[in-house]
Amino acid sequence: MIEHPPETESLSVPSAGVETRLVSLHAHAALGTLLVSLLFGVLAAMELAVPGSGGSAPFMSWGKLRYDHTQGIMLGWLGNAFFAFLYHAVPLLTGRTVTSARLGQWIFGLWNFVIVLPGWVLVLAGFSQPLEWAEFPLVIDVFVVLALLLAAVQFLAPFFRSALEDLYVSSWYIIGGLVFTLFAYPMGNIVPELLPGARGAAFSGLWIHDAVGLFVTPLCLAIVYYVIPAATGRPIYSHFLSMLGFWLLFFLYPLNGTHHYVFSVIPMSAQIGAIAASTLLGVDVVIVVANLLLSVRGTNWFRRDMGLRFVTTATLFYLIVSIQGSLQAQMSINQSVHFTDWVVGHSHLAMLGFASFAAVGGIIHAWQRLPGKRCNTMLLGWAYWLLVSGLLIMVLDLTIAGLAEAAAWSSGAPWLDSVRAARPYWIIRVFTFIPLAAGFILLLAGLSSGERTGAKNEGEAA
Amino acid sequence: MTYLVAAVGGLGFFALSMLLLGVWPGEALEEQIHQTSPAHPLPLSASEQRGRAIYAREGCAYCHTQQIRYLARDVSRFGKATLAWETIFDYPHLWGTRRIGPDLSREAGVRSPDWQYSHLFAPQTLVRDSVMPAYPWLFHGAPDQPAQDARDVLAYLETLGRDRYLAGPEGEAAAKKACNCSEDERKFAFGPGPLNASPAIPLRKGKFPLLPVSNDEARGRQLYSRNCAGCHGAEGAGDGAGAAGLHPKPANFTEQEYAQERLSQALWNGVAGTAMPGWRDIPPADLAAMARTVRNFHQNGPEPALPEGVLELGAKVYAAHCAQCHGEKGAGDGSAADQFPVPPTNFQTQRPSLAASLRAVKNGIEGTPMAPWSGRLSEAEVYAAAYFVRGFYKGGIRKGDGQ
Repeated sequence: MIEHPPETESLSVPSAGVETRLVSLHAHAALGTLLVSLLFGVLAAMELAVPGSGGSAPFMSWGKLRYDHTQGIMLGWLGNAFFAFLYHAVPLLTGRTVTSARLGQWIFGLWNFVIVLPGWVLVLAGFSQPLEWAEFPLVIDVFVVLALLLAAVQFLAPFFRSALEDLYVSSWYIIGGLVFTLFAYPMGNIVPELLPGARGAAFSGLWIHDAVGLFVTPLCLAIVYYVIPAATGRPIYSHFLSMLGFWLLFFLYPLNGTHHYVFSVIPMSAQIGAIAASTLLGVDVVIVVANLLLSVRGTNWFRRDMGLRFVTTATLFYLIVSIQGSLQAQMSINQSVHFTDWVVGHSHLAMLGFASFAAVGGIIHAWQRLPGKRCNTMLLGWAYWLLVSGLLIMVLDLTIAGLAEAAAWSSGAPWLDSVRAARPYWIIRVFTFIPLAAGFILLLAGLSSGERTGAKNEGEAA
Repeated sequence: MTYLVAAVGGLGFFALSMLLLGVWPGEALEEQIHQTSPAHPLPLSASEQRGRAIYAREGCAYCHTQQIRYLARDVSRFGKATLAWETIFDYPHLWGTRRIGPDLSREAGVRSPDWQYSHLFAPQTLVRDSVMPAYPWLFHGAPDQPAQDARDVLAYLETLGRDRYLAGPEGEAAAKKACNCSEDERKFAFGPGPLNASPAIPLRKGKFPLLPVSNDEARGRQLYSRNCAGCHGAEGAGDGAGAAGLHPKPANFTEQEYAQERLSQALWNGVAGTAMPGWRDIPPADLAAMARTVRNFHQNGPEPALPEGVLELGAKVYAAHCAQCHGEKGAGDGSAADQFPVPPTNFQTQRPSLAASLRAVKNGIEGTPMAPWSGRLSEAEVYAAAYFVRGFYKGGIRKGDGQ
């Protein structure tokens, strides 16, 4: 392990090794699938506000929209955003090109035209599995695993070709995230098909957490750890804390899974172990976030650079959502808020707050360093505020809805009282679509208008 | 060297999580299944399997959990906590992590088939404030025309909790004895409460509180329109949108008089063999307000003049053809009454209008064992019987009600 952070210049200067076309392709695919996934989400949300609003077509039923929403967000939006970022960052982190541009085209085609699009269509046609974060049917999973293998060849090989010299913390997260997901994805998708009921659920619990914690989180942290020094021109505050955070995360995150099934028939010792790990995870996140925030302190992060603004905001959301997660894993809180909209709010804070802000920051950062692209800082600023306000209103709204549901349930009142109590909040949640959709559309507009990029890098690396 | 350690460590963390939270709990669960499962739990039939696949593909598990947690709040609302063996046929499991609708672990036997079909076809016609999506494509255009898909879904729903029910008290006792579980788990999985705590299960012979007489017309109206109007109609004529697929049809309150006792029983226990569920989750004061609203729908028509000899003829016909089921004194307690899925009407606590009574005797009541008599009895006999049964009524609001 290296004792010092890498030269920050090497992170921010475009290198001849970057496959700019693949960055651009994946960034476009990311934003496109994001808008489609958002549409699935709002249609599902409308069904709760106004039942039957989606019509009575079998392929538009609530469950199918719900499946496509989350799979689209995880694989379509975040998956493509990660690939776009990796094509930018891996050559700069390793000083080597990715394995092959041709392989990159295959991965792009596989990911979007063999996994995401057919996955969506198959779910709507009625082929799926009823497992959270694993709703695409098994036939799609075969190609996901294949694509993850190819991605390992594409992005991990440069690290090994550079003999793993001076691995920066982003590199650790990239390697860790890609390798772990290669194992965890088939586990979460296949084991519950082979082990029935409670025994399969134990593995589902693992994957529900691994999907967010060991695919999404490491790659988002790779982006944050990358963009901060690259955009500020300052090294990360403490490399020791970076590595401490990394190892604690990879030790603790996988041990969280059973906290999705507290008070279930799964052995109490496993539940208590998972709750303990969830508590410690909160501590780990405080370490990670402290290190990141100390790194941006005094850098004028909010005004200095749009990518930096998004990833720093992601860091703040990461802190809030993780502390919330640690708290809601505790039995005293879990027994009330589990099964309620509180948890749906939590998921949105994680995937839309932390993960999407990090992914947007990564895309903006890479985009500004592509030759001949446009970037409109004013529009991106508007996008930022719309997304922040849409997200915060939604999370607050769902959190209150969850508390209202919990109160109705524990009062012993008729079940429908909890539905009636939640209804106004479900209606408000639909309206948060407006700032969120506007924000993402302005993001797209901000990346396709304004001044040409390319000259960006001189002034900054100093 | 460092990287080798890192790689082993990283993969070790994955293996550790699999081991600690997957494999090892799996072994403990397997042991519990071995200890507590009945020897021969019923696997799913082909139709039930197909229904399960539809349940899975429509995302039902994303609003309805299938696990009752080891918590007082879950056990009191849904029933005894779910044991590991109860889901051994679930590939993959359908536990769920969100409850928008109620838990369905013990759904078997809670609702009548016509209720389930109507609810799947158009949920809001039965449950006004429900947000459940409609699934009309499982039907041939009407709630009482289920396609094979809807039949399969219903068949699957009727398996939920079935095996634990079939295990019976002996099975429960054996499982309780063999289970190597903590005091807490024992309390929630084998406690004294009912296996199925749903307030909606119709109880044919269950005790019920005699509801007080309520004066709260506004509250009664509000609760009626929320809970009852879907089937019984906005003005109680039995013509709500939800009535379309129900057999028997919901009662038409405009042409029935009810004793407070009858309303108390029907509201608290439901009406066994029909779509009328119990409403035991609604406080008695609110049920009393609903009873008042129901009673107020009754329209007192002028009583017809008594034709010559009609009571004598009616008594004869009744004794010969009706008393076996409806009882000698019209209390719905004839010798054959218990053999029917739907209890025969108790005329002491319920009095139909002459028109309704005539219709029932002539045409029978669809969806119940009440047969049409027009082919077997003369016109005069039908009329006499229809008239006669109305004389048993002892209802109205009596002294003592509402204490």
